This record gives sequence, structure tokens and C-alpha cells, in this order.
Amino acid sequence: MIEVKNLVRTFNSGDRTIKPVNDVSFALEQGTLASIVGKSGSGKSTLLSLLGALDKPTSGDVVVNGVSLASMPDAKLTEYRRRDIGFVFQQFNLIPNLSAVDNVMLPLEFAGVRKAARLQRARELLEQVQLDPSKHERRINRLSGGEQQRVAIARALANEPKLILADEPTGNLDEQTGDHIIELLSSLSRDHNTTILVVTHDRALANKTDRRFRLQQGKLTEEPVRGRAAVAASA
Amino acid sequence: MSVLARSVGNAFRNKVRTAAVVAVLAVAIGLALAMLVANQAVGAKVQELNASVGTVLTVNPAGGQGFEGGGEPLTADQAAAAAAVPNVSAVVGTSSLRLRNATEAAAQAAAGTQAGPGGQPGQGGGPGGQATATLTTSLTAAVDAGTLGNRNQQANGATGSSGSTGSTQPVRSLPITATGIGAQVDTTGKALNITGGSGLGDYSAASTNALLGTTLAQKNNLTVGSTFTINDQTYTVSGLFDAGTAFGNNAVYVTLPTAQALAGTPNELSSMIVTVNSMDNVASTKTALQTALGTDKADVTQGQNLQTAVSSLDSVKNISFIAFIAALGTAGLIILLIMVMLVRERRREIGVLKAIGAPNRTIGLQFVLEALVLAALGSAVGAAIASFASGGIASALISSNTTSAAATTGRGPGGAGGFPGGQGGPFGGASQLLNSVTASASPGVIAGGIAAVFGVAIIGALVPALLTARIRPIEVLRGE
Ligand SMILES: Nc1ncnc2c1ncn2[C@@H]1O[C@H](COP(=O)(O)OP(=O)(O)OP(=O)(O)O)[C@@H](O)[C@H]1O
Ligand SMILES: [Mg+2]
Repeated sequence: MIEVKNLVRTFNSGDRTIKPVNDVSFALEQGTLASIVGKSGSGKSTLLSLLGALDKPTSGDVVVNGVSLASMPDAKLTEYRRRDIGFVFQQFNLIPNLSAVDNVMLPLEFAGVRKAARLQRARELLEQVQLDPSKHERRINRLSGGEQQRVAIARALANEPKLILADEPTGNLDEQTGDHIIELLSSLSRDHNTTILVVTHDRALANKTDRRFRLQQGKLTEEPVRGRAAVAASA
Repeated sequence: MSVLARSVGNAFRNKVRTAAVVAVLAVAIGLALAMLVANQAVGAKVQELNASVGTVLTVNPAGGQGFEGGGEPLTADQAAAAAAVPNVSAVVGTSSLRLRNATEAAAQAAAGTQAGPGGQPGQGGGPGGQATATLTTSLTAAVDAGTLGNRNQQANGATGSSGSTGSTQPVRSLPITATGIGAQVDTTGKALNITGGSGLGDYSAASTNALLGTTLAQKNNLTVGSTFTINDQTYTVSGLFDAGTAFGNNAVYVTLPTAQALAGTPNELSSMIVTVNSMDNVASTKTALQTALGTDKADVTQGQNLQTAVSSLDSVKNISFIAFIAALGTAGLIILLIMVMLVRERRREIGVLKAIGAPNRTIGLQFVLEALVLAALGSAVGAAIASFASGGIASALISSNTTSAAATTGRGPGGAGGFPGGQGGPFGGASQLLNSVTASASPGVIAGGIAAVFGVAIIGALVPALLTARIRPIEVLRGE
């Protein structure tokens, strides 16, 4: 369960203030797969960084399972990111001089998982995102954009987080691989009760989500989900 | 992939830069280690000097020294007077005897008688020195007379007996010096290095025990327990000593009363070895001692102008220590600046590590370890540089320093050349001491130096490592 309460984030750029996130409130039940759409520059990544405790809001609060992020000290926030959050960055943000498998093992190392177990879990995850085993040991800067994206997704899943925040997770993937990733994410929300919030321009992905939000001029509005609504109506 | 493995990997990420950094670090570290080695070598020498002859004053009869000169002998009363001078911790009397091989002395005497009347070389002490007696012994000197020995004896013979001059002399061996000592020290006040057997026990009582120099014992096929004679009286070798020099080992030590009895001068002393309680008091005690004994009665000297030697060594020691600290500081500064640069460069990466939940201390540790990898590489190359350079650096430091010291005393360094160990130039002894400072890179000192380098590296890396704590995870969303 994640509750967002009157979240505001402003930036000062030159003489004027921009408000990419302006009084946003919503709540997601545990296990929900939700999507956010919006124009480029509308503030989607900014909102996600606030939910992932990467950034601090100008005002407002995020409450995760009854615990407010605003009141947490930095050390606790680090632990929150390590344990409870899986973040897929729009720019992947992998460590370029490490191999794919080493990148996936990083969050496991920080969580104190033993080395043998780390390696095994990392390999499993890379297989789940369909990265060719021959590329597991390859350095990140020798992988294609799509391959890097899948390594980034595998890394986000490493510590079995309760909340996955994914910024354009299928942006660099072909349709078939993209579909597989979508399937992987929805199965996680279904079977592992993981809450997943994806930012996407991908219609196919947006259509598969339980809830859909649109961010426009700093305001978040929920769009009715046709598929689910139809299911609900027919039920 | 552990923190350490990542640090090592990161250290080699940019190979060209790593090589450059290691090269610069190696120069600084190498210099630091070389300075440390020089400092240790000189320090050890200073300590050695202070511990042994550094605090020793020698009192000789006024106008005489050893077997040269003249004047009145020293007495037991004067020894008591010397002991009463403040800061004097010990007074050891010595009584010197000159021993000649009995058969050779007889042959020589015969030759002298043949040559003409009045010639009685070898008897009556020959040289008109202080209270020394020449006695016969069964021992043969371990040192061949050689050119120097013959020349010396001829000169001495001339003062002793005019009769023998001009006559063909039989091949002579050198006399052996027997010294009666009041404690287990040699004539310069240094503790005797007993290499076999035991000492003489009670040095204030007459006995028939004697200590022989190693080469003298060897020459005469004597070991501990063997016997030999002085003036037809039998003595037992109770121990062997090693004085470290061929001259020093061609000697016999007996107890003071024994020597006094042999010489027939029970109350007289050839010299006194006065030990001062600390290096700082040597100068004042020397003056006090001179006053107490009277300038007309005794000459008080300080062994080999040690003060000059020690003070110039001390300044070398200080210079090298300052240079060590400065080079160490430079190494630390290099590491600090490199790490600050690296942290700035990897802001975004640090942000990523934080964003995926790396604790601050893990990231800080990673950077400290990375600095240590650089320091380790720099130390390895630096130690190699130091082991080649330290000898040269130490001797360069010492020679430049002693030249200036010699200039201040108003004597050219030329005076140092001729008379090593002599009383002549104030630098005769000093330069010898300085030359014996060998700066060898001992593993212990190098290890200590490298430990200091690592300490400095940790301090240098700590500041940048702490800076990483201030980098916020949101950096990941910003461009480079
Ligand atoms: N640190 C910052 N300082 C100033 N302005 C910022 C900062 N970060 C983001 N912005 C601005 O906030 C707005 C929202 O940025 P954000 O990255 O959230 O957009 P987005 O919706 O993710 O766009 P895209 O779909 O292109 O990724 C943009 O106009 C951006 O210029
Ligand atoms: Mg974005």
C-alpha cells in the first residue's frame, strides 16, 4: 500500500519556478499494476523519483505501509530503497565498467546476500529478462540499449522489492521482447503481490495495467480502465 | 564482486591516468622512504655514538699520551678527585704496559751490544714517555711490523738509545700493548666485546688472568684456558675479545692492580676513562674535570671530537626527517587531489549506487580502498626507487652537511684525510664516523615507511570519501 498525499516538487530554473509535480494525491493497493502517461517533460520521472525516495518533495508526503518517507532519516531512506524499491531508470544507470551479472549482483551485495547465492540469483534474473547467457559476463558498455534496459530491469527485481518503479521499461525493446517484459511485470504483480508503477508511452503496456494515470501540468488524473471496467461491468 | 574487487577494478579503469598517478606517487613515496632510511641510519649512528664513546672523556697526564710525551703520571688520588666531579658516573683507571717478545728482545739487545757501547735499546722503555714499562712476554704480536712499524720503531729508538742508530737492526715485530683496566672496558671506554671465555671478574684485584685480542690469541695458538708469560710470570687466558680492528685486537688486558704491579708503579695510572652521565653534560663536565685536576697535571680530551660529529649527524637526521614528513605529506596531497577529482567525476555513478541502496560507508570504503590500491602501487614502485636512491641520498646529505660543518670550524676537509682516528684534525674522527653511516634499506624501516604512507593515504582518501556521503541519489537523473 502506497499513499501519496499532496505531493509538490518545484524547480527554480532561472527567474521562474516550474512545478512538474503540483499537488498530486493517489493511493495504490499492494499488488496493483499501474501506469502513468504524459507528455515529455510533464514531470513523470520527477514524480517517480519522489516515490522512490531519490528526491525529497518540496511539500507533501509519501506513506508506504503506514510509514511516512518525509520523516525518515537518510539512513532509513537508503534502507527503504535497498529493501522495498526496485527502480528501473529511464537512462538505465548501470555501472559501465561492470559486467551485466555484476550489476545485478550489486543490490544483493548491499543487502548482505552471500556471494554464491548472489551469483545464482543474478543469473536467474538475467534469464528471466531473456538476456542471452553469453552476454551475462559482458561489460555493460558493450551491450545494446535494449540489452542494457533488460539488465536494468533484472537489477530492479534483485531484492524482490514490494514496489517497482519503472521509467519507460520497454522504451528500447522490440515488440516481442517488450511483450515478454510486460508479461513478466504483470505476473510479478499477480503472483508476488508486487506493486508496480510504470511510466510509459507504450500503448500495449498501458492497456495491460490495472490503473492508468495521466500527468498533465503537474496534476495527476486517473483515466477509466476500459478493459477492467468492461470486466467489472460484465461481472 | 566485492567492494575490494570493485575498488581494484576502478583503480584500473583509466589505465593511462592510473599509470601517471602511480608514477607521481612513486616519486613522492620513494623520496619519503629514502629519507626515512637515511634518517634511521643516521639516527642509529647517533645513538651508537651517544651510547658508547659519546659520553666518555679521557684524562691523560699533562703533556703525555699513550707512549708519547712526558710529564707526571696520574695517581689514584686524582682518580678519586675525578669521581667527585658532578655528573661523572664512572672513572676507570688504566695502566699501560708495553710487551716485547722475549726472544726478539734478547736478540735485539745482543745486536745493540755488538753495535757499540751505551746501546741498550728496548730497555728503560725506549721512548721517553709517561709511566710505561716495557716488559717481556712469550706472546708474539699479531701485527707484522711492516714499513710503518719499522719507521715508528726507528724514530722511537733514536730517542731511546743513540747507540743503535746506523747499525743493522734485526727484523722486529711490533710491541704488544697490555693495559690494566679498572672495569671491563677498552682504552676508549667502550665495553669490551668478549667473544669467548669470561671477563676478568674483579677488576680491582690483582690476578693472573688476562684477556687476549682474538687475532693475538690466534697468532700464538692460544685459547681460553691457555697460559703465556709476562716477565716470566705465568698468566691464564680467561677470555677473548674482539675490538673490531687489527690494532685493537693486538692487545692484552689485565686487571689494573696486576698491571700496576708489573710496572712497579702501584699508585700510578696511565690514563683515566671518565664516563659522564649524559651527552648534554659532557662539555660542562669536561671543563669541571679539567679544573678539578689542574691543567698542569692532566689533559682532559673528548674522544675523536664526537660532539662535532654528533651535532652534524643530528642536523642530517633532522633534515632527513623533515624531508620524510614533507614527501609523505606530498604523497597524501596527491592522493587527496586525485580522489577529489575521481569523486567529482563519478558523481552520477555514486548517485546510482545510492539509488539502489548502497550505504554511505560502503561507498566511502570503496573509495578509500581505491586510494589504497593506488598507494600500494606507488609504494611498490617507490620502494624500488628508494632502495636504489637511499644510499646516494644519505651520502649526499652527509657530505654536503659535513663540508659546511668543516667550514664553520675553520678547517678544510683536507685535514680529515691523513690521520684517521688520530688526535689531529677535528674532523679526522668525525669524517670516519660519517663514512661509516651506511644507508641500507632495511625491510623493517621500509615496512614502517609504507605503513606511514598507507596511513597518509587513508587520511588523504578520507576527505573525498566523506564527500561522497553528501552526494544525493537524485544525481542519477542529472546528466554528466
Ligand atoms: N533538477 C532540475 N532543475 C530544473 N528543472 C528540472 C530538473 N529536473 C527536471 N526538471 C524539469 O522538470 C520537468 C519534468 O521533468 P521530468 O524529467 O520529470 O519529465 P518527464 O515527464 O520524465 O519527461 P520524459 O518523458 O521526456 O522523460 C522538465 O521540464 C524538466 O526540465
Ligand atoms: Mg522521464
